[in-house]
Amino acid sequence: MTLDTRVILICSGKGGVGKTTLTANLGISLASKGSPTAVLDADFGLRNLDLLLGLENRIVYTAQEVLEEACRLDQALVKHKQEPNLSLLPAGNPRMLDWLKPEDMKKIIEMLSKEFKYVLIDCPAGVEDGFKNAVAASKEAIIVTNPEVSAVRDADRVIGLLNTHGIKPVQLVLNRVRPKMMETQEMLSIEDVTDILALPLLGLVLEDEQVIVSTNRGEPLTLIGSKSPAARCYSNIAGRLHGEEIPLIDPSKEGTSFRDKFRRLMQTKIF
Amino acid sequence: MNSFNSKKNQIILSQSFKKNWQKQFELDIKGNKYSQLEIFLGKWKLTCNDINYIINYCKRLNKTISNVFSSEPESIISASNLGLNTSLILEKNTRIERDLNIENSSNSKKAEVSIIFHQGTLHAGEIIEVESDILLIGDVNPGAIVRATGNIMIWGRLLGIAHAGKEGNHESKITALQLRPVQLRIADKIAKGPKEKPEEGLAEEAQIQGDVIVIKPARTR
Repeated sequence: MTLDTRVILICSGKGGVGKTTLTANLGISLASKGSPTAVLDADFGLRNLDLLLGLENRIVYTAQEVLEEACRLDQALVKHKQEPNLSLLPAGNPRMLDWLKPEDMKKIIEMLSKEFKYVLIDCPAGVEDGFKNAVAASKEAIIVTNPEVSAVRDADRVIGLLNTHGIKPVQLVLNRVRPKMMETQEMLSIEDVTDILALPLLGLVLEDEQVIVSTNRGEPLTLIGSKSPAARCYSNIAGRLHGEEIPLIDPSKEGTSFRDKFRRLMQTKIF
Repeated sequence: MNSFNSKKNQIILSQSFKKNWQKQFELDIKGNKYSQLEIFLGKWKLTCNDINYIINYCKRLNKTISNVFSSEPESIISASNLGLNTSLILEKNTRIERDLNIENSSNSKKAEVSIIFHQGTLHAGEIIEVESDILLIGDVNPGAIVRATGNIMIWGRLLGIAHAGKEGNHESKITALQLRPVQLRIADKIAKGPKEKPEEGLAEEAQIQGDVIVIKPARTR
């Protein structure tokens, strides 16, 4: 059986803009649409995709053992209990960085491609070895950035590097958008960012406190069927990636309807 | 299959063996006694992966690459991303000789007035350096640098750093459809970019007037 596997790199350049959170949520959303999906943590030095998915305590083998042929791939893959279409391939230990080569990464991805429709690679921050390893095996990429000058600058650098590696298409996700600050022009606007980066916008993710809560619990927002703004944004992005046509949300209209106001009121009372 | 050059420490990738260039390349390197190599990529568009392959192969044979020459900006950017010294060289068909009066190019190539075209946006961290004029079709993003010994013309926005007349030509100009650089340099003069937004739809040019760099609406001569 040949699957037309899509190997998607999720990268940003700058750290802390939301790569891992996006990977976890996209993984869950895509899996819930029925496609077998694998998420690969390429951040060997500082791995935490397993934490976000709440799978830390179920890891037995890692990519390292698979490469050393100490175990089979299916032994290392951790299947998500609530979303059986989603599997995580955990990264090895930080020492692995020294000997991991782009060829090793290609080998892992090749193995995953035989079984999954989507392979999402959570890329480490920076543009050094970890990034180069991750890039070597990817076919397309999603760049995550925040509406901040430094994040946009780093994203631009990464776009240049992706171009020289011949990765296409590269799409953009603008994370942590605060509609109010954009309106008052205290924050870079969507146009400011897309103007410089010149990438097709795959989606916006609104700033949302629920993301922090779900991260700490190890339950991605899209898994628990949350109706919070960020959860909607994530599933929209997954839908677009899947080929559905979903219009972009208009941040200026977010949070102004009566229902949203009421929900916010309820949340502030509870937490 | 004539891929050797007269100078012995040079490796040239010729146009003829596109399919398995790696094999030919390996043969060339193996047959080369020198430990420092200069590699000519010609018009080849190589990605980082290709160049990484070249670097690794040289490493295995304990050879170092002193410089990479190419007429293809993409290959140059790939190679410089991997930390190699690079130089953009001119191929005959990418060169437009403006001054037809030059008779017999006996006086070396430097005497020719030439221009290099580069198509595509320059992203942060990318540097393009040429020994001529340059016409860049695309933007120069913040964090990117363009340097030229002659004039710089940008059919797009200049948001990064441009250095015209880098070897001291005070007559050089920097022209762009939108001139909002971080920094402008002409010869040995340096200026910060303008803060205020420029008028839209007006190309602007920067040149040295008296002792300072001045920005004015561009004019045809």
